[in-house]
Amino acid sequence: MLIFSVFKTLTDQQVTVELKNDLSITGILKSVDQFLNIRLDNIKVLDEGRHPHMMAVKNCFIRGSVVRYVQLPSEHVDTQLLEDATRREALSQVKR
Amino acid sequence: MDPSATGIQEPFDLIRLSLSERVFVKLRGDREVTGILHAYDGHMNLILSDVEETIMIVDTENAPDGTVNVAKRKMEMLFVRGDGVILVSPPSRA
Amino acid sequence: MSSLQGYVDRRVLLILQDGRAIVGTMAGYDQKSNVVLSDSKERVYSIDEGVEEIPLGLYLVKGDMVVLIGEIDEVLDQAVDLATVRAEPIMPIRY
Repeated sequence: MLIFSVFKTLTDQQVTVELKNDLSITGILKSVDQFLNIRLDNIKVLDEGRHPHMMAVKNCFIRGSVVRYVQLPSEHVDTQLLEDATRREALSQVKR
Repeated sequence: MDPSATGIQEPFDLIRLSLSERVFVKLRGDREVTGILHAYDGHMNLILSDVEETIMIVDTENAPDGTVNVAKRKMEMLFVRGDGVILVSPPSRA
Repeated sequence: MSSLQGYVDRRVLLILQDGRAIVGTMAGYDQKSNVVLSDSKERVYSIDEGVEEIPLGLYLVKGDMVVLIGEIDEVLDQAVDLATVRAEPIMPIRY
């Protein structure tokens, strides 16, 4: 839930999603759901010369389960807030 | 050591106490990252900053003895999906 | 829900876990990202030859197999002569 919220705060920001098939796709984060499925707009595939498969694709849906990393815009991530929220969530999980 | 003194009773406590510290993460696919831990959840999804990733590439074609080539790269802020995580190691307190 | 809203009736590119690339018209989908494509074709990429298109017709793809679904800009797509495109197939997903 925490990570889902983080992604929601990053909508309309540029991110780079690296998939488990080694494709890297940069685009504007348009939406995210509880599975961390991701919608990207205005996409660009890294090393397009080697990966022309998505030349005519301008926006896409990425299944959360195939994501390896997402590079986030650090200027839009409040790390102190994240750590506090993480501690709070960790404690609430213990109490249940 | 007395578990109540360290505050560590279950595995995730170890990760919680590593928040805002540099951690080492071993991942599937012969990858490792180090970075400052800012968030995690029960799936071991992680958010790290000041990240350095190391990929070990075993060159079996040109070197049958298995020479390992290492590729490194740096990233400012990274979400790591939990299903790729093998282990998270807290900073050494030497 | 992030989801596939807005893709129905559009031409889409579907990338599967095994690296296959399928284009088709999105006829429908559900919560698990199961997808039905009509008038679909597999695009087979290779380094030695141009892209080969294999007609598949009506196709139901299980959500677990889906890596990515992209909306195709038809003007851009038609401007590309697939016979001249040389590329390695997309790698399969490795966990």
